[in-house]
Amino acid sequence: MKGKRLNLWGWFWAVAAMLYFFVPMYGTLDFSLRMKKGLISLLAYRTVLADSQFLASFRYSAIMGLITVTISVLIFVPTVYWIYLRLPGARPIIEIITILPFIIPVIVYVFGLIRTFSGPPFQLTLTPFKTDILITAGYIVLSMPYMFRAIDVGMRTIDVRTLTEAAQSLGSNRFQILVDVIFPNLRIAILSGALICFATVIGELILGDFLVRPALGPYMVLVGRSRAFEPAALAIMSYALTWICLGLIQFFSRGGSTQQQLTGR
Amino acid sequence: MSFLELSHIQKSFAGSVAVEDFNLSVAQGEFISFLGPSGCGKTTTLRMIAGFELPTSGQITLAGNDLTYLPPNKRNVGMVFQSYALFPNMTVAENIGYGLKVAGKSKVEINQRAQAMLELIHLEDFGARYPARLSGGQQQRVALARALAFHPQVLLLDEPLSALDAKIRVELRQEIRRIQQQLGITTIYVTHDQEEALSLSDRIVVMSQGKMEQVGTPAEIYNFPATEFVAKFVGQINLFPVDVVDAKNGVVRLGGQVLCAGQFGHLNGNSLRLAVRPEELNPGFMDGANNLKGRVTAVTYLGSIIRISVDVEGHPIHLDVFNERKLRIPALGEPYQLTFPVDACWLL
Repeated sequence: MKGKRLNLWGWFWAVAAMLYFFVPMYGTLDFSLRMKKGLISLLAYRTVLADSQFLASFRYSAIMGLITVTISVLIFVPTVYWIYLRLPGARPIIEIITILPFIIPVIVYVFGLIRTFSGPPFQLTLTPFKTDILITAGYIVLSMPYMFRAIDVGMRTIDVRTLTEAAQSLGSNRFQILVDVIFPNLRIAILSGALICFATVIGELILGDFLVRPALGPYMVLVGRSRAFEPAALAIMSYALTWICLGLIQFFSRGGSTQQQLTGR
Repeated sequence: MSFLELSHIQKSFAGSVAVEDFNLSVAQGEFISFLGPSGCGKTTTLRMIAGFELPTSGQITLAGNDLTYLPPNKRNVGMVFQSYALFPNMTVAENIGYGLKVAGKSKVEINQRAQAMLELIHLEDFGARYPARLSGGQQQRVALARALAFHPQVLLLDEPLSALDAKIRVELRQEIRRIQQQLGITTIYVTHDQEEALSLSDRIVVMSQGKMEQVGTPAEIYNFPATEFVAKFVGQINLFPVDVVDAKNGVVRLGGQVLCAGQFGHLNGNSLRLAVRPEELNPGFMDGANNLKGRVTAVTYLGSIIRISVDVEGHPIHLDVFNERKLRIPALGEPYQLTFPVDACWLL
């Protein structure tokens, strides 16, 4: 009897949560389809996709996202690997550092970046290229909590030390171990971190806005100020992109389980 | 001329000594086991040979070359781990061929060698599988093949059978010995299982608290243990205190019963302990042998043998008899007489 009551409560909260998430989304979707008066149409989406500014800002954010993901992977995989292998005592310190973007508001962080890097000795706001270097560094920091945790969790699922020693005894140097053993066994973890990192960059507003770069976030805000239906269409497209990323994580996670070691230490 | 030489090896961790003055000469093709309880320094010594730990002092040479401070990937030493340590992202064949791939060998050579190693371990049809699709025993055989595929000078095995169940362990240890003899590879095997060490090795190094207690063939270790630790650690042993009666002839006394020790060396008249294996004792009385009287305190079935515990002058003495159908099992508290040859016991 008690179990049944709990089950009903469970269903109640599950439905309440779904309504909380999906009703606004449905409202946005419905609104985005009513650009033509009295008709359901994809006009708002067509308008957005036909806007050269949208395509330029999406392309810019996507490229920045890919660069951010690549650099983050190259920084965090060897770092976390080294912590597991040689400096396990440093892990709590690194963990605290990686959650700083959650503690320090992005606006404070952006002003810090601008104050530090708009004057000598590191003038990184003079040209678009230099500002792109600065914004990439900013994105790496903002996505650090996700990337670090994804790789950290992945590293926990493999016996890093023994696999490293096994590869060493077979003649591998550190670089070969990273490329042949560590990276492939972290494939799913890296992919999860990369997709979350990519989604973070795509939706980021404050860095792009204050460093005056043509990113998707500032474009969405700009469109939202002057138009009605297109921002709703953009919001749905953004949701869709995030869901695609999450779907890809799930898809590749399932595929990877066939290679997990079942027995061992 | 020794092939692998460990000279005065010492290893300390934060002030505590893990291995102390370890000296060992290993001939080419020899199978040596490091046997001892947990924390005795056997794995640390193995890891120093592999290069995963550096000795605090001492020297390791292999075929005349100083290995002491060489990184693990430059030593040409194959290692098999307790947890198999197969690369989950690679197939069985890729795992086996990995050492050769790193060495820059051609694909044809790698494939041929992998196939030959798969045949050696009787897993010819498993090359395309991933390690997760194999049983523990199969994974460990692949780990063995991988460690041998790149033609190492020495094979190191760190408790390779510990994670396996008893039946597979016996099968696989015979397999390891067969392959080792077939290839003639110098092998160092770490184990805490005395049966494994006794059945596999040419020589055994018994270790305790970072020190070598005894080095010898399995028969020497079992039949002539040099120290009380070795006597107790390898096999079962009866150890009971005796007083020396006649130091010249090795005559001793347990309470009121007089015994003769087979090996006694130089006795100085102090109290000592007489050692005798349970399987050397027999029920009954025999002229010219040592004979003891006591009372049965316990009878334990161990399958093919039955262990009878007898209280003699307040000391428990165990004897093992074969479990034959016609055997009369003594009752608890029953007076019991037991006998053992003079040369089956020694003084410690």
